[in-house]
Amino acid sequence: MSAAADIHTFIVEELLPGRGIDAIDHDDDLLALGVIDSHGVIELVGFLQRRYDVSIADEDLTPEHFSSIASIAQFVASKSDVVG
Amino acid sequence: MLLDLVYAVAEDHPDQIAVVHGDERIAYRDFVERVERLAAGLLDRGLGAGDPIALVLPNVPEFVVALYAITGIGAAIVPLNPQLKYDELHFRLHQSGVRGIISDDRAVGVCERIVAGWEQPVEIVTTSTAHGHGTTIASLIEGGEARRLAPRSPEEVFVYQFSSGSTGRPKRVARTHGNVHAEARAYPSAFGTGLDDGVFCVTPLFHDYGMTCSLLASTPAGATLVMLEDPNPFVLKRPRAIELIERERPTIFPGVPFTFRLLAEAPQDADMSSLRWCFSAGTALPREVFDAFLERFGVPIRQLYGSTETGTLAANLDAHPIATFASVGKPVGDVEIAVVDDDGAPVPTGAVGELLVASPALTSGYLDQPELTAAACRDGRYLTGDLGRVDEEGRVYITGRKKLLIPVGGYKVDPIEVEDVLNTHPAIAEAIVVGVPGENTGEEIVKAAVVPSATCDERDVIRYAQERLANYKVPRIVEFLDEIPKSPTGKILRQYLL
Repeated sequence: MSAAADIHTFIVEELLPGRGIDAIDHDDDLLALGVIDSHGVIELVGFLQRRYDVSIADEDLTPEHFSSIASIAQFVASKSDVVG
Repeated sequence: MLLDLVYAVAEDHPDQIAVVHGDERIAYRDFVERVERLAAGLLDRGLGAGDPIALVLPNVPEFVVALYAITGIGAAIVPLNPQLKYDELHFRLHQSGVRGIISDDRAVGVCERIVAGWEQPVEIVTTSTAHGHGTTIASLIEGGEARRLAPRSPEEVFVYQFSSGSTGRPKRVARTHGNVHAEARAYPSAFGTGLDDGVFCVTPLFHDYGMTCSLLASTPAGATLVMLEDPNPFVLKRPRAIELIERERPTIFPGVPFTFRLLAEAPQDADMSSLRWCFSAGTALPREVFDAFLERFGVPIRQLYGSTETGTLAANLDAHPIATFASVGKPVGDVEIAVVDDDGAPVPTGAVGELLVASPALTSGYLDQPELTAAACRDGRYLTGDLGRVDEEGRVYITGRKKLLIPVGGYKVDPIEVEDVLNTHPAIAEAIVVGVPGENTGEEIVKAAVVPSATCDERDVIRYAQERLANYKVPRIVEFLDEIPKSPTGKILRQYLL
């Protein structure tokens, strides 16, 4: 499963319970749609750190990194590159 | 009424900045012109006095302009959260019988679907043409004629708001021009608000806390409303919030404990020295948040108390608030707060009872719900449902919610008391306590919903409570959660924990 698909599943199952996998697309604006609030961001960060063994600092918490599933996947990939 | 206060500022100080949003700075002169032009545009579309008009908008300057334009023509605003889902919006729009909706690209589609086919046509105005809708705020302002708006009567409805309460469906509350004007007039005397002030606006304007403590506390007093663009989720907007505070140097910051905690924990340098009043409302301010913010920025956070039905009631304006941080302070303006027992009789000073308030800003009741109104409003006073006490110097302390008391075996358990104990557990980040039906006795039993900060199990939590509380107060059920469900302003949504 790709990182984007993985993140998609986490968001749908944990942040949008009961809405189904089609509730959002990879390019949807998660912030504008209200999919993730502050608590959701914190949950998501925990998931990304555990799942991809990356370290996400407070400085990384920007709208650009978390605006869509695609941007989150790209952000994780950049972190993985740094780690690798 | 309210607009007259803004007119006075625009006439005396036309270049004073009314609203800051991103790079946009709107002077009072331009602000009132936009208000007048939009008002003319709304009248041209057939809207007018008595019409409820929904504002389904996030925090944007258009919200502020529209609020004054709508109420300036005698129509009433119905501010609604644009994140509401179809059913939630439908209920509120239908209950209000809206004749107009002002919204943005995010919410206009669902609004259109809701009102399609309504017998009474609903005028829809958007903030941009991106959705394909023709009537925008900009086009109405462009086509409208700037003409001074006449004062409104104090009896006319200014706003319909929905009070979430703690249980049940939202209740619709009307507040008049007289109510809102009285509240707006109280801020300059209570907070000393004036031309030198900027109010940092991160709380949603569609909520009564944002509308009153940000909008009504700023523009009618000639202060500047400094709006953080799209403040949610605040954890991602924290760098921008700090940048804006350092650039605009606001003096007043109404927030909730969560925003203050995030700022106290911000990784980057932050200069908060411009802030002279930081207010926290929505839920009790934890001591550790108060301490962390004070230690880092040297600014004490002050608790503030109010509700949809009443507007702002009290604020802790103590000269030395460290010792009294737990208090929501003394009543502001012409507000009076009394503490009464179950029979409505005053209790001795310092004793806990229900808070009964009198205020010129108070609603006359819940629309279409005479029984609820009769239960809450007595002789022009409002029973808040909040439990509290008043000390000898007149400071108010909130101790719990009367309606939340859990009847257990003939006793009444105050969930706040149990929460206070559980929140001292070293492995608990946050605990909320509710009453749920017991399986065997038919009575309620105490349940704790807990967000752990470290490993712990149900036995740990129960044992900890048993050591510190009478047996009947000890939770029988412990549920572990990732987060406590809360409203946009941090109010705990206990109904989701039952």
